[in-house]
Amino acid sequence: MHSVTLYHWEPNANSGKPMLALMEKGVAFESRYLDLLNFDQHQPDYLAINPQGTIPAMLHGERVLTESTAIMEYVDEEFPGPRLMPEDPRDRWRVRWWMKLMDQWLGPSFSMIGWKVFVGPAVRSRDPGELKAAIERIPLPERRVAWRKAIYGQFSQEELKESRRRVALGIRILEQELAKRPWLASDQYSLADINGFNLAYALPLSQPALSNDELTPNTLRWLRAIYARPATKACWAMGRTSMVKRVTILEQPHIGPGQVT
Amino acid sequence: MTLYHGEPNGPSLAVLATLFAKEVRAELVRIDLESGQRHTLPCAQEPQVAMSVEGEGPVLVVEGEAMTDSVFIACYLDDVGQGAALRPADPYGRWEMMRWCRQVTERTAPAAAYLGCRAHPPKADAALLERIGSVDVRARWEQITAGQFSADRLADSQTKILQAVEKIEARLDARQWLMGAFSIADIESFAWLAGMVPLVPAAFAGKPRTREWLERVRVQPAVAQALSLARSADPAASWSVGPEINRWG
Repeated sequence: MHSVTLYHWEPNANSGKPMLALMEKGVAFESRYLDLLNFDQHQPDYLAINPQGTIPAMLHGERVLTESTAIMEYVDEEFPGPRLMPEDPRDRWRVRWWMKLMDQWLGPSFSMIGWKVFVGPAVRSRDPGELKAAIERIPLPERRVAWRKAIYGQFSQEELKESRRRVALGIRILEQELAKRPWLASDQYSLADINGFNLAYALPLSQPALSNDELTPNTLRWLRAIYARPATKACWAMGRTSMVKRVTILEQPHIGPGQVT
Repeated sequence: MTLYHGEPNGPSLAVLATLFAKEVRAELVRIDLESGQRHTLPCAQEPQVAMSVEGEGPVLVVEGEAMTDSVFIACYLDDVGQGAALRPADPYGRWEMMRWCRQVTERTAPAAAYLGCRAHPPKADAALLERIGSVDVRARWEQITAGQFSADRLADSQTKILQAVEKIEARLDARQWLMGAFSIADIESFAWLAGMVPLVPAAFAGKPRTREWLERVRVQPAVAQALSLARSADPAASWSVGPEINRWG
């Protein structure tokens, strides 16, 4: 069998999706940690692998794969191990629908807030000339805009307000959906749950007024159930920053409004 | 099952063509997507309809469940229908197709809908706009019906169409279809780009392989059958509010 190499950042958002899918399938892979905050993803050696400079990317033998959600479907189909897509075609549609909502509608709003409070401040104090050069090296124009806004604190009040509205609405519809069935998109654990956990694992910590055991009991049940899986524990242990250590909030047996420690 | 669809263009064309290619029997119900009629359906307020990232696309109702998003409905139809598969058989080929379709729906489709709506504006009255469950979809409707198109976004949309055609032209080197065999990628890409030929002619200039491919897709029996349902002289001029232009990174 060909070897698998995964270029990734923290077990969080897009990087965490193929990491957790590989670990759920029991696929051994070589981990190549790219420090997003050090702009490793825009260095020539990585751009030779993924010219768009986005993380993650996966090598499987000679194959180079990008786009985290599409990579997850590949991982599920290519390797033996427990199936992470349901058999029923309509269930599969539901998995994909939810992943797209999270990837393209809800995720970017979470991400904007995360970049404002974590990524921007983490890199802002560096040498201004170095930062400017680092931004200019970013291949995709929309990513250049994203980094510029994060580094220089240029998010408008209006766009932050819209992101907060989407986060609040997303939390409500996730809760409604999780009241219908044990997992997000079907009666079995699937790629939709892996995708969703990467987005929402720190929800009771980052949005305590909107997500807690009283307001969103099904979401908390779901997050704890995913966190209890050995693959999730092993995956999050690969994290190096304080950001992903927030996952331990899920070890608290009950989280009420304002009870986050 | 029931398929609510609009004129055969964009996502409605993609789903109709897939349905016919896979010989899936469904009741076809025409709705006027350009006047926002989708928001009068009984399922309009369900999250999977109201919050569909695709915008004003078709809705397939199966056993009471409303399904949206043309690529994923097409995957469903490919699973349940008859005849030749519309996705590659091997996992790598399927990854290539899903990645291709993701780029089409995330980068090409918002640009095409933006340019299409400017050239052929959809119209919804104020009472109907109020029924739209999603705040951001409603905001896009309000901007379009007020004729508010930004120069930056128009220019960016033209660039996105140009880039999409360049990708197709390169991809068709020594192949007839984008994924080797005729697939959902051909249907979805054609459905969003057919209407761009008159609106962004520069994108198609000097792109002989893309032009030939457009004609090959157009005469595929399932695509031709879908196009034959048109009620207007030029269904490729029929546009409604599409996916959001990337708002963050």
